[in-house]
Amino acid sequence: MTDCALFSRTSPLLQCTVFALTSAWKLGDMPSMTNETASIPDLSDLEAQSLSVSGLALKRGDFILREDISFALNPGDALFLTGRNGSGKTTLLRTLAGFLPPAEGHIQLGKSSDPAELIAWLGHTDGLKPNETLRKSLRFWSGMAGQPGKVIMPVLKALDIGHLIDRPPARMSRGQQRRGAMARLAVMNRPFWLMDEPAGPLDRAGRDRLGKLVAWHRSRGGIVIAATHQDLDWAGAQRLELGGGL
Amino acid sequence: MSGLWRILAREAGLAWAGGGGAAGPTAFFLACITLGPLAIGAESETLVTVGPGIMGISALLAVLQFGERSFADDFFDGTLELYALSTVSLPVLAFAKVMGQAIATLWALPLIGALGSMMYGLGGSEILVVFCGLLSAIPALALVAGFASALSAGVRRGGLLISLIAIPMMIPVLVFAAGAGRAALDGDFDRAWATVLLTLAVSLGTSALMPFGIAAAMRSRLG
Repeated sequence: MTDCALFSRTSPLLQCTVFALTSAWKLGDMPSMTNETASIPDLSDLEAQSLSVSGLALKRGDFILREDISFALNPGDALFLTGRNGSGKTTLLRTLAGFLPPAEGHIQLGKSSDPAELIAWLGHTDGLKPNETLRKSLRFWSGMAGQPGKVIMPVLKALDIGHLIDRPPARMSRGQQRRGAMARLAVMNRPFWLMDEPAGPLDRAGRDRLGKLVAWHRSRGGIVIAATHQDLDWAGAQRLELGGGL
Repeated sequence: MSGLWRILAREAGLAWAGGGGAAGPTAFFLACITLGPLAIGAESETLVTVGPGIMGISALLAVLQFGERSFADDFFDGTLELYALSTVSLPVLAFAKVMGQAIATLWALPLIGALGSMMYGLGGSEILVVFCGLLSAIPALALVAGFASALSAGVRRGGLLISLIAIPMMIPVLVFAAGAGRAALDGDFDRAWATVLLTLAVSLGTSALMPFGIAAAMRSRLG
């Protein structure tokens, strides 16, 4: 399968080094593709991008939350940010996305000077409007990212919410809303996925679907960074432990 | 379709469907101009004199209402982050968003203003001046309200803050928009139309500058 061949090119070598922080690696099997996620058609190829972070310090208000965070990610890599509540997972994600300025250090996200256009964001809120159906909101976001609208239905089906396409999020469960927000990441076709507690309200089947979507994205050379408390088994995902809460 | 038009269309659709469309500001405007004669008295001479001024004040207050939810919803549901990462630059995005919402919610204000002027006993050409004055004031009023809304997004009881920030900045628009109607009442239509053009100029200037202020406010709310 071409997808697997693509993925093996970016074998999960230990490219992530973390100074002053403990780090642990989970090396697993290659992600196995299912027919559902492998068959999302019509998306243009992702440009291979990489991310390197060196000597990064995180600031919350006036005090320094974390210092000397360094790591590097290559196409196809996934990184879990773990740590207790208040350890700076969300702050790190928001700094990577450019919402917060780094207190110190350097972030090189992709080759472009404007990294914002490389990032697909899933925050702790879903970014859905209560009265806007998934069809309308996904059309809007895929159009904004310059992607065709015909990928929307296959992505929703891959997340098992194809039947909800015309339902406003106000009448969905939290888990269904979360899946709808995940569909937005896929249809925008951007190389970096930054996710804050992606599996929070998801049931077991939802976590499986999320895992498959992430594996599909990585097989295309995408990079996924997720802050999480849950045990998600994404094959070959690296782990950055941010330690205790401050 | 460019990003600007996409955002404008989306925001207009959202405001139309989700926020009750034009109903809120329109009802507020109608209430203001109906209460006017009850408080001032029903002498037709007085009502004609205060008519343009009441229309201006009522429109201003109605637009403040529009500011209350404009950016606060985006802050709470996470849309603000998504907009910040979009391909459209923030000032353009802010302009498109405010204009989209204004088209969907404030379109009725000039019409109600014309209707109210009729109620207050103004003549045909004077009504036309009031209508045009309000129409050219609305972009500036909406952008100022949007700026206040973006600054106060995520603040509890933001409505108070919006009023305090926006009202001083709306004063020039009010002076011009109501002044046009007053000049028309004095029979000086040259001055009336010149003042309408001045109102339009303020709106254009606000359209050029205020999006940058709104964008800065949005960025500060992301941190």
